[in-house]
Parts: sequence; structure tokens; C-alpha cells
Amino acid sequence: MKRNLLTVVVGAVIILIFGLLLFVFQVRQSEVAVVTTFGKPVQNIDQPGAYFKWPWPIQKIYKFDQRTQNFEDKFSQTLTRDNNNLIVTIYTGWKISDASAFYPKFLGSVPAAQAALENMLRNAKNAVIGQHDLSDFVNTDPKQLKFDEIEAQIQQEVQVDLTTNNYGISLEFLGLKKIELPESVTQSVFERMKADRQLLINKEQYEGEKEATIIRADADRQAAETIANAQAAAIRIRGEAEAAAAPTLRVFEKDPDLYIFLLRIEALKASMNQKTTLIFDDRTPPFDLFQHLPDNSPTNSASE
Amino acid sequence: MSEEHSHHHHPHDHDHPHDQGAEHSPSADPAPETQDASSQALSEALRSSFAVVKIVMVLMVLAFFGSGFFTVGPQEKAVILRFGKPVGEGENRLLAAGLHWSFPYPIDEVVKIPITEQQIVSSTIGWYRTTPEQELSGEELPAGPSLNPAIDGYLITGDRNIIHSRATLRYHIQDPFNFTFNFVAASNTVQNVLNNSLLYTAARFKVDDVLLNQVAAFREAVQDRVEELAEEQHLGIIVEQCDVESRPPRQLQAVFDQVTIARQNRNKALIDANSYTNEVLSQALGTSSTIINQASVTSANYVTNMVAEARRFNDLLPIYQSDPGLFTQQYLVKAMGEALTNVEKWAQPTSDNGKSTEVRLMLNREPPQPKAAAGS
Repeated sequence: MKRNLLTVVVGAVIILIFGLLLFVFQVRQSEVAVVTTFGKPVQNIDQPGAYFKWPWPIQKIYKFDQRTQNFEDKFSQTLTRDNNNLIVTIYTGWKISDASAFYPKFLGSVPAAQAALENMLRNAKNAVIGQHDLSDFVNTDPKQLKFDEIEAQIQQEVQVDLTTNNYGISLEFLGLKKIELPESVTQSVFERMKADRQLLINKEQYEGEKEATIIRADADRQAAETIANAQAAAIRIRGEAEAAAAPTLRVFEKDPDLYIFLLRIEALKASMNQKTTLIFDDRTPPFDLFQHLPDNSPTNSASE
Repeated sequence: MSEEHSHHHHPHDHDHPHDQGAEHSPSADPAPETQDASSQALSEALRSSFAVVKIVMVLMVLAFFGSGFFTVGPQEKAVILRFGKPVGEGENRLLAAGLHWSFPYPIDEVVKIPITEQQIVSSTIGWYRTTPEQELSGEELPAGPSLNPAIDGYLITGDRNIIHSRATLRYHIQDPFNFTFNFVAASNTVQNVLNNSLLYTAARFKVDDVLLNQVAAFREAVQDRVEELAEEQHLGIIVEQCDVESRPPRQLQAVFDQVTIARQNRNKALIDANSYTNEVLSQALGTSSTIINQASVTSANYVTNMVAEARRFNDLLPIYQSDPGLFTQQYLVKAMGEALTNVEKWAQPTSDNGKSTEVRLMLNREPPQPKAAAGS
């Protein structure tokens, strides 16, 4: 009896294990799964754990990675509203949010899903970029820059598309990766940049010269002012001295004739510096002495 | 499982012949000794082999549970998934370095997450085609007249110029669980966030600000955008450092250099002008203090002279007043004598016949020094 009981227990354990293997499946964290009954999706599982199923061939389980996947579209040329050709590349993060919708659409193929996503991206990109001017993409004024709006609009378009078609995919994020110009345009941009640089060079030169001139002129003006102030001060100092000497001048009033005579003598002395030529006739003292020479000398030949 | 199953059966098989032997031994007395000996030997052999099997069985059970031990290295964390579901909540889900135990597969599954201290990603847009080797050796491909969007990366600035710019982002993972279980390739996502940040920031800046005037502000703006997007996209990273390098297109390097030179010249002109200012002003200050000093000196002299003259006047006055004519003559002649020693003199006698005498002097001549005898 003991032997039979043990055999039964062991048998039960084995059956239980096989049963679990047949009837239970696990969904890992980072996975979503769909349960199909005879090929028809009946249950969507988006939480990890152990779940019950009917064994093959009644029910089948398809598991998918539900983590965010990166996808970038190929670069393509798009026309903006103001007729600029832009080459824009977009990156996205998408994930499988609803396995029961995803599985029948793409038969579980991620590349097929990405191909569909790429189509949607291209359409959304062309539609949104066509509504914007180049100045919405690049602008030094943050208020006019619509970079984030453009990204949000494209994401919105794609999201609407995804929801309408019920792809079981959700777009986690979307951003512009590259904004470039057609190759021929870069050359003309270079030409313009070169011209801009040349203008800048000239401007630096002229402004530099102008500023330097202003600074120098200002320096000269300040210097002239300083000297003029000094001269004014000098005049004031002399005036003060003259005022101080004024009482002394009264002395000369005692005999102005003598004073004027003395002044004239001083002036005479002052004017007789070197490099002066004086011509006198013989009536001027002290040369008038020559007039009183004896008459017997030859008179007319002296001057010749 | 099938092994365990067979283990359970062997002990029964072992008990069975043992019991049989016990029952048979009294009745089998007349049986030949050899048969009894052989069956005994057989049961001995069976018993010992069952013992071995028992030990093996115990070892296997131990091995089964022992296989649940695992170590987590210093550069990694681990998460136990029980029936696919992480064990624990929040931070507790992450097992630190050390020895741990879990139920063996298929109950538990251990997922190890490498967490290197610092992750580095570099931007993949914005720079012309080159490799680090080419850059180091200086053997980069020559720049063509235009940029091919399929090959050459570049950015368009807010003022619609083309520049090259690249960034390197250093970050660490704040939430390794999220990084592993929510993203297929999270580092690629970080890279695209960095690319987008460069693109976005360049679209707001002027070319001169990126390259020269606001290099630091540009770098900060890129980093701010990275942090903002990382937050929005729940990347769970912490940015440590974001380095940005920018340069003008190689096609325009020469003309950009000329601008730099023009700027330097301008600065030099300013410096020169400022030093001129200093020079002129200090000269002017010197001159003005000289003027004022001179004025002070002359003023002092003037007053002194005036006083002296007044004294002389007072002295001369009585002499003059006693005979003004004589004094004047005397004084004048004396003064003339003093004055005339230093000048060139011509004495022209009065002509007796009343005709005026004509004297011709050459103007603009250099009057001779005294003593030198020269004439016109």
C-alpha cells in the first residue's frame, strides 16, 4: 500500500508538471503577448506573469518585445511652404502596445511594421513641413521658432494614422534628426556666407577705425581743455598778481613823465637784442657828435 | 523530473528483495549453500549500488537548488523575474553586487544589467565625413565645393548659415531597470536625443554666437535640451557632462580666419587709441602744470619787480625833479650806450645839399652777428 501511494503521488506530480507545461505560459517583463484560439486573437496580455491557456492546437501564444524601439526614416526631400527644399530625417521611439492588434496586421513581423511606420512618417512629414516656412525651422527669435510644434504635429499625424488603422503600435516620441539642404543649395549658401564674412571684415575695419578716431579726437579735446583750463588759471594767477601789485603802481603817479620815460628806456633796451640793425642819421645822439667835427675835413666823401 | 521519478522507484525495488529474503530464509534452509551465498552477494551488491544512487540523488537535488545561486559583479545589477514578473518593487528590484539565490528556471529567471560608471555617446550628425584616425593624422579628405546630405553632416543656424558641430555626452544611468526593460537600445535613444538637441540649439543660435561669442551658452543650451528630452522620454539618465565642438565649414575657413584677424586688428586699434589717450592726457597734464607754474613764477616776479621798480622810482624821483632835462639826457645816452653794444649800426650823415639819402637794405637777410663786418 505504501508503495502504491508513493507511486500515485509521484505520478500526480509528473502529470501536474506536464499539465503546467501544457496549460501555463509566462509573459516576461518587457513582453506583451496575444493568445489565439484556432488562429483568432482572443486575449491580449500586457502585464508580466504566468497565465493559463488551452494546449496546442487549440490556443497559441505569440509574444512580442514591448520595449521602445528606435526607428529612423530615410532622408527625403520635402518642400516647405515658402518653396525651400529641405532634407529632413526623423527619429522615433515606437513600441507594440497592443499585441492582439499588432499580430494580425503584421503577422508579428517587426520589419513589416517599420515599413508601414516609415510610410506614415513620410506622409506626415510632407504634410506638416508643407505647412511651414523655413523660418519656422531655423530662427534666432525663439518666439518664431516652431521646431517643437513641427515635431509635435508630425507625431500627432502619425499617431492619428496609427490609431485609425489600429496597428497596435504607439509612438513614444518623435524628433527631427537632421535638417539639411540639397547639395546645390549648400554651394550658394557658402557664397552668401562668404559675402557676409566680407561685409563683417569691412565692418570690423571701419568700425575699428571709427572708434579709434573718436577715442583719439576725444583725447585731443580733453588735452586741449586741460591746457585751456591751465591757461585760464594762469591768466587768473597773473590777474591776481596785477591786483596785488596795483597799490605799488600808485607810487608812479607821483610823476608820470618820469615813469613813462623809464618805461620807454626799458622798451628800447628790450628791443635791442641781437640780430638788430639800426640806421641812424647824425642828428641822433650820441652820433650827433659827428656833426661837430671840424669843417676842414672832406665833407661829401664820408658817406660815399 | 524523470530522474526524481526513478529515484523513488529504486528504494521500493530495494525493499522488496530484502523482504523476500527474510521470508525465504527459514524455508530455504535445505537449499544449497552456494545459492544462498550468491543471493547474499547479489543483495550486498544491490545495497551498495543503491547507496551510491542515493548519494547521487541527494547531490542532484542539492545541485538543482544550488544552481539557484548566482553572483552579481561590482559593475552590474540583477533582477529576478519570477514567472516573468520582477520580484520586488522600485529600487528593491535591483540586486546589488554579491551572492544571491533564486529558484531555478523555469520559476525564476535572472537578468543581469551591466552598469558601467559612465556611459558616453557622441552625436552622429553635424560633422563632415571623417574618422578619428584621419583627424589625428591630419589626412582628412579635402573639402569639396558643396556638402552632400548623404555623406556630410552639418547644421543650419538660426541665421541660415551652415556650420559643423558635434557633441559628446557623458551620463550615468539613474534607473537601470527602466533602461533595460523599457528600451530595446536605450543608448541609441540617448544618441538621437543628443542629435536632436544639437540640431534644435543650432537652429536658434547665430553662427557667430555658436563659434565665438556664446560658445558656453550654446553648450549649455544643448545640455539643457538633452536633459529636457531625456526627462520627457523617461530615459532615466543623469547627464554628467556635455561637450560641444563647433567649427565653420572647411570651405570657408580662410574667410572666417580673416574675420578673426579683422577683429584682432580692431582690438589693437582700440588699444592703440587708448594708449594714445593716456599719452596725450598725461602730456596735457604736464603742460598745464608747467603753464600754471610759470604763471605763478612770473606773477611772483612781477610783483617783486614792481616793488623793486617802485623803490628805484622813489630813488630817482628827487634827482629827476631837481633837473628833468639833464637827467633825461644823461639817462638816455647811458641807456643807448648799453643797448647799442649788441646791435649792428649804420650811421647815415645828413646830406648838406638837402637831398634825402637813399639807403637800400636787403630784406629777409640774416643780420650778421656783432663784430662780423658785413654789408648789403
